Amino acid sequence: MANLWQKLTQHDGNGWWNLPHGPSNELNPPYEGPIGGAWLGNLWRTITHGNVSHAGVGFYWLVGFVLAVITLVEVWLFTVETLGGWFIPILLFLSIGKFVGVVAYFMHLRFDHPMFTYIFTASMIGGILIFSILLVLSENAGTPVLF
Amino acid sequence: MMWAFLGSDVMFFGVFIATYLVYRGKSLVGPYPSEILDIPITSVSTFVLLMSSLAMVLGLHYVKEGQKNKATLWILVVVVLGAVFMGFQFYEFRTFAHEGLTPRTNIFGTTFFILTGIHGAHVTIGVIWMAFMAYSSHFGQLRQDNALDLEIAGLYWHFVDIVWIVIFTVIYLISASDGPPAGVGPTMIHG
Repeated sequence: MANLWQKLTQHDGNGWWNLPHGPSNELNPPYEGPIGGAWLGNLWRTITHGNVSHAGVGFYWLVGFVLAVITLVEVWLFTVETLGGWFIPILLFLSIGKFVGVVAYFMHLRFDHPMFTYIFTASMIGGILIFSILLVLSENAGTPVLF
Repeated sequence: MMWAFLGSDVMFFGVFIATYLVYRGKSLVGPYPSEILDIPITSVSTFVLLMSSLAMVLGLHYVKEGQKNKATLWILVVVVLGAVFMGFQFYEFRTFAHEGLTPRTNIFGTTFFILTGIHGAHVTIGVIWMAFMAYSSHFGQLRQDNALDLEIAGLYWHFVDIVWIVIFTVIYLISASDGPPAGVGPTMIHG
C-alpha cells in the first residue's frame, strides 16, 4: 500500500505517472509522458511530442481538443432527459476532468516543483472545506429567504 | 508567489460559489435560472475561454523556443479570445437586465452577478496583462531568458479558465433547470 501511495503521489515515484527526477527548470526532463510504463510512455511521446521528451505543440493541441470534446459532451448531457440522478455526478466528474487537464498540463503543475503542487493542493482543500462548511451550515439553518 | 496568490483566489471564489449554492432555489420572485439562462451561448463562450488557454500555452511554448513572431501571434490570440469572452458576458448581462434580472431583483440575481462579475473582472485584468505581454513580445522585450514573466501571466490566465469551468458547471448546467420554489408561480418576463 505504501508503495502504491508513493507511485501515485510522490514526484520521485517513477511509477505509473513517471514524474521527472531532475529539477523543474531542467530542459526536456525525461518521463514527462502522462501515461506511465516505458513502452507506452515512449509511444505516447512519439505521437505527441515528435520523439522529444518535453511537451510540444502537438501535445497541447491534443489536450485542447480533449477539453473541447468534454465541453461538447457536457452540453449534450444537458439535453439528455433520462439521466435523472446521474446528471449532477456525471457533470461534476467531467468538470473535474477539465479542471485537472488545465492545471496539470496547461499550467505545467504536473511538470513543476512539488512545492507548488502542495501549495495549490492545500488551497484547494481549504477552499473545499470552506465550501462544505457553508453548505452544511446553511442546511442546518433552515431556509433564510431574503427576497 | 503567483501560486500562493492563486491559492488565496481559490478560497475567494470558493466562498462565492458556496454562497450561490446556499441561496440556490430560494428566490421568491423571478426571473429564475430556468427562465433566463441561455446554455448554448454560454457554451460557446466557455469554448472560447478554453481555447484561449490553449493559445496561451502555445504562446509560452514559442517564447521559450525564441520564435518571436509566432509567440506574439498566439499571445494576441489570447487577447482577442479573452475580449470575445468579455463581449459574451457583456451581452449576457445586458440581456438579463433587459429581461428584468439585476443584482437587486432577487437572491439569484445578487449571487449570480457578484460571482460572474468578479470572474469577469479577473478576465479583464488578464486581457490587459496579456496585451502588455503581446506588446513586449512584439518589441523584443519578452525573450527566452525572461519567459518566466509570460509563464506567471499564463498561470493567472489558466486559473481564470478553471474558475470558469466550475462556474459553468455549477451555475449554468446544474442550475439551469431551477424554477420557482414550491408554491410560487413562474415569472412574466418582459420583452
